[in-house]
Amino acid sequence: MPQPVQYRGMTLIVPDNDSEWTEFYAHARAHRLVVRKCTACGLMRYPPTHACPWCMELEWTWQELSARGTIYSYEIVHHAIQPGFRELTPYPVVLVELDEQRGQPTPDEALRIIGNLVKPDLTPEAEANVAIGRRVRVIFQDLADHMALPQFTLADEPAPARVWRLPE
Amino acid sequence: MKTLRDKYCVVGVGETEYSRASGRTTRAMAVEAIRRAILDAGLTARDVDGMLDYQGGDSTLANHVAPDLGIRLNFYMDVMGGGSSTEALIGLAMGAIEAGMCNTVAIYRSMNGYSEFRIGGTGARAAQPVRGLDLAQVPFGMRSAGQNFALTFMRHMYEYGTTSAQVARVKVAHSRHASQNPKALLKERVTVEDVVGSRWIVKPLHLLDCCLETDNATCLIVTSAERARDLKRRPVYIMGVAGRVSKPRLDFHWAHGPITRVAGYYAKDIVFGQAGIGPEDVDVTGSYDAFTFTTLLQLEEYGFCKKGEGGQYVSSGIIELGGGRPNNTSGGHLCEGYTHGMSMVIENVRQLRGTVDDYCPRAAEGVHTYDYSPGRCRQVKDAEITMNLGWAVPPTGSALILRR
Repeated sequence: MPQPVQYRGMTLIVPDNDSEWTEFYAHARAHRLVVRKCTACGLMRYPPTHACPWCMELEWTWQELSARGTIYSYEIVHHAIQPGFRELTPYPVVLVELDEQRGQPTPDEALRIIGNLVKPDLTPEAEANVAIGRRVRVIFQDLADHMALPQFTLADEPAPARVWRLPE
Repeated sequence: MKTLRDKYCVVGVGETEYSRASGRTTRAMAVEAIRRAILDAGLTARDVDGMLDYQGGDSTLANHVAPDLGIRLNFYMDVMGGGSSTEALIGLAMGAIEAGMCNTVAIYRSMNGYSEFRIGGTGARAAQPVRGLDLAQVPFGMRSAGQNFALTFMRHMYEYGTTSAQVARVKVAHSRHASQNPKALLKERVTVEDVVGSRWIVKPLHLLDCCLETDNATCLIVTSAERARDLKRRPVYIMGVAGRVSKPRLDFHWAHGPITRVAGYYAKDIVFGQAGIGPEDVDVTGSYDAFTFTTLLQLEEYGFCKKGEGGQYVSSGIIELGGGRPNNTSGGHLCEGYTHGMSMVIENVRQLRGTVDDYCPRAAEGVHTYDYSPGRCRQVKDAEITMNLGWAVPPTGSALILRR
């Protein structure tokens, strides 16, 4: 097993037998965002899991995504719990709805993923720029030779629908 | 629908003091809470032969607690879990008795939730390595309960126009109730301005939108209605129970929207179906108020108001003592103290008995003034049916309907 990664005071552990995260992070380190796609019904899922939540099929393939999406919800952490995050406050956490498989297989389902909204230099995006409805793209934060975190940064694209942020 | 309506009762309740420095082990506190519940029921240690408890690596197991009190068990089980376990274990206690495994079950939760293992993920919990499913969120600085739930709350504000000031009314109501509760950690009444003016924790949550980490132990005793009839207290009958009902994709519930829908959406038909009643028949609600928002979401999902109208419902005065359907008359987790859901069930049992432990001099005899000004009474007049809305996370919840 590779050495656990130390990141902001946390020990991130991906054991050798954890095939789902090992391969996900290997792709991420090559700056590809991948999810597991069911070979039977074709639906994709995140996080990586062992069976298809819609048809129970065990076979899957990795599918690379466009890594673009829209902020579906967000929060701004002012009081950090993890000591390593205190210097970053206030920092945004975003729930991003990816462009692929929106509204499938039922209207309210989608591929959604959690990350931080960061500037291109990976520091937290200013709070005034964080809003539901804004377009984002994935940016990778390299942590080790075998691991990178997918993060999000604002994309220079028009918002597809209403843009909203918590009133001051 | 299968129902055991009115065949089982809660016959005893007990708790230790609510504090932030118990100075005792969870074992010592559990023993005290269970002893009080046994005495409250008019039972002896010999009458209790079942035990259930829940914890998250922060408490003492039943096989250490029961012998301390001279209890010999025919059935026991220690369960991993936090919120929503209370109602679920009441249902499991009924099942164990129904199966003939035992006759009377003590359910406890004991936690030094402030002085030892803080629920918020600080202290010992912050040092735990991150692996498996946690990798999908914890590396992004999203670990505590508030950080876990805030995405749901923010989306509710976006979809329905819910405001911070509306949600603050939950804290205002519960603080008014706590001012009638000698046990409460926070007895001071607060205003909407106090809540929205308090510092941000994780937007959209202010400090006063969050509950109080607490040291405390609590116990409930469940037995058959037949056995309950001989005991000294007025029996409180279990009409319906739903335990840890979940949304799809519990691994990553944000995948399955609408994310503003919480588990009560699925639990309500189970619990109301068993009880044969609807929300309009409930006199008092007990919501799991880990945060102000959790109360609002649950009241919506169980049909006390329409989906999206929780902001108006909690600001209407209906949830306050003297209103049409008071919620968390003890002050709940926001003001009385955090017990992982147990204390709201205990409060409702006392409401149905008519013996809420407020400042009325003869409260224990069931004599109340129904004067809801500060430092007086918190008994609801003629409460006949109560409901508990248990919450673990947005996609998992439990529910319980009791009657006198």
